[in-house]
Amino acid sequence: MDASSRPAVVIDNGTGFTKMGFAGNVEPCFIIPTVVAVNDTLSSQSKSSNKGNWLAQHTAGVMADLDFYIGEEALSRSRASANYNLSYPIHNGQVENWDAMERFWQQCIFNYLRCDPEDHYFLLTESPLTAPENREYAGEIMFETFNIPGLYIAVQPVLALAAGYTTSKCEMTGVVVDVGDGATHVVPVADGYVIGSSIKSIPITGKDVTCFVQKLLKERGEFIPPEDSFEVVRKIKETYCYTCSDIVKEFNKHDREPSKFIKHWTGVKPKSGATYTCDIGYERFMGPEIFFSPEIYGSDFTTPLPAVIDKCIQSSPIDTRRALYKNIVLSGGSTMFKDFHRRLQRDLKKIVDTRVRAASSRLGPDVKSQPIEVNVANHPIQKYAVWFGGSVLASTAEFYTACHTKAEYEEYGASICRTNPVFKGMY
Amino acid sequence: MVYHSSFVEEEGINKACGCPLLPLKSHVRGPAPASDPDKVDIVDEAITFFRANVFFRNFDIQSPADKLLIYLTFYINVALKRLEGCRTLAVGTKAIINLGLEKVPVPGEPGFPFPGLFALPQSEDEAELFRNYLKQIREETSGRLLSCAYRPNGTPNKWWLAFAKRKFMNIIIP
Repeated sequence: MDASSRPAVVIDNGTGFTKMGFAGNVEPCFIIPTVVAVNDTLSSQSKSSNKGNWLAQHTAGVMADLDFYIGEEALSRSRASANYNLSYPIHNGQVENWDAMERFWQQCIFNYLRCDPEDHYFLLTESPLTAPENREYAGEIMFETFNIPGLYIAVQPVLALAAGYTTSKCEMTGVVVDVGDGATHVVPVADGYVIGSSIKSIPITGKDVTCFVQKLLKERGEFIPPEDSFEVVRKIKETYCYTCSDIVKEFNKHDREPSKFIKHWTGVKPKSGATYTCDIGYERFMGPEIFFSPEIYGSDFTTPLPAVIDKCIQSSPIDTRRALYKNIVLSGGSTMFKDFHRRLQRDLKKIVDTRVRAASSRLGPDVKSQPIEVNVANHPIQKYAVWFGGSVLASTAEFYTACHTKAEYEEYGASICRTNPVFKGMY
Repeated sequence: MVYHSSFVEEEGINKACGCPLLPLKSHVRGPAPASDPDKVDIVDEAITFFRANVFFRNFDIQSPADKLLIYLTFYINVALKRLEGCRTLAVGTKAIINLGLEKVPVPGEPGFPFPGLFALPQSEDEAELFRNYLKQIREETSGRLLSCAYRPNGTPNKWWLAFAKRKFMNIIIP
């Protein structure tokens, strides 16, 4: 059976989580943390020439490199036994540890997706501004180790834009605000090409929101068992946090109607099995507030997210700016807070309107300027927008012609992976 | 963004150390002019904005009334720290009274928390006037704060007392 008649495999490797599945689906099959737990007790003992261990090491040596876990299993194994060391192969969107990445992909393909890599085309994603060498390494691993028939390495923001495609509208120009667990980027894309010089990244991420909420809860003295405090707070953040329009008004609302706003979290202590409850109050809206006033979290970075988006668009070519303001697309799990897009649109519009007013007052009453329309798009697939865009693009017929094939790899080598053609998909 | 005071008009108000002596709805004796009981005064503003402003480390001053707002926010932070161990309203009130009996520094004296924020007093009279105003406004703030920090039945309100651990403008409170 020909590989192009089978659905392609779409794997989106992020700093915090990896989303993987098959093209044509609406949701990824698996979303697992990007972490590998390796058992390296035996390989590290190879330095000491201990005769007794030699036999054990020899018998384990054949299977030793298969003794690793990824994702949730890795986290639970590393907690259970001290033999397993966690390693996070991706930092800030860039792969740092290719050995671990190769193992990660190995388990993804064979254990989770359970498909034969020789039968499927692959779509991988990468962060913008990745060095071309990284694409070569990824291509080498994919073609050599897994023997895949074809590979396309897509840039994440372009896929996020593709997620907003409908049959009538195919907007390839826009600003993608990707707020993930490990990295936040604001990337302008014009006609499918990333404007590299205008990419801005900010150090406030989903992990910071979780840390901030954890600090607030600890200051108030709420009881959360310290072993899985971070995980519990993460779940609290995902369930209860929302974006407010004004902090002081929210505090007053919480004071006036505590029963409506204060939520309770019940959990089970992992060691003893007893239940505990804690109250969630003003953390619900103070958590996402760090995107709009980063000062409250730490003093090194103080530019709010709407100002960063505005600076990014202002540094893009002047003829693209109106189109960029009109199509601001959110992607990433940390944009899922309720009303995040409305608050972002309101704050950004305020900045833009102030500037337009200042400019038109300088030019005088004769010159009429068109108001700039600011539109932050909100759609239900935001959390996996990058994966979904990949699924959409990989299910078109054009995808197979745009991929690098195994024949090309064997002919020219890994350097073919350095460039990837941009293609629109559906019209 | 920090919340600023709305008392921007300055005519008709006495000034001391570059800071307007704004009217208060106060029962305490002191140099402040009386304010309408229906209007919001600077102490109400400070208490309402406290839980938001305490998170910020940089404060841009838009009017001289903001200086007073900053001072009051800091004072509320100090008062909450004193209330940290107090389990009932009675113990809390005693702690606050002790705080009020301590010496109140004016700009120029060591121990004043914001050197450089206020202008130095030109004369002894101005310094005394400002000191009495600060004493009055501190006592007024403490009274209203106790009604927020403790519930009607006398137990501490954790939604307020949690802010004792926050450090406004990163100032360590002695």
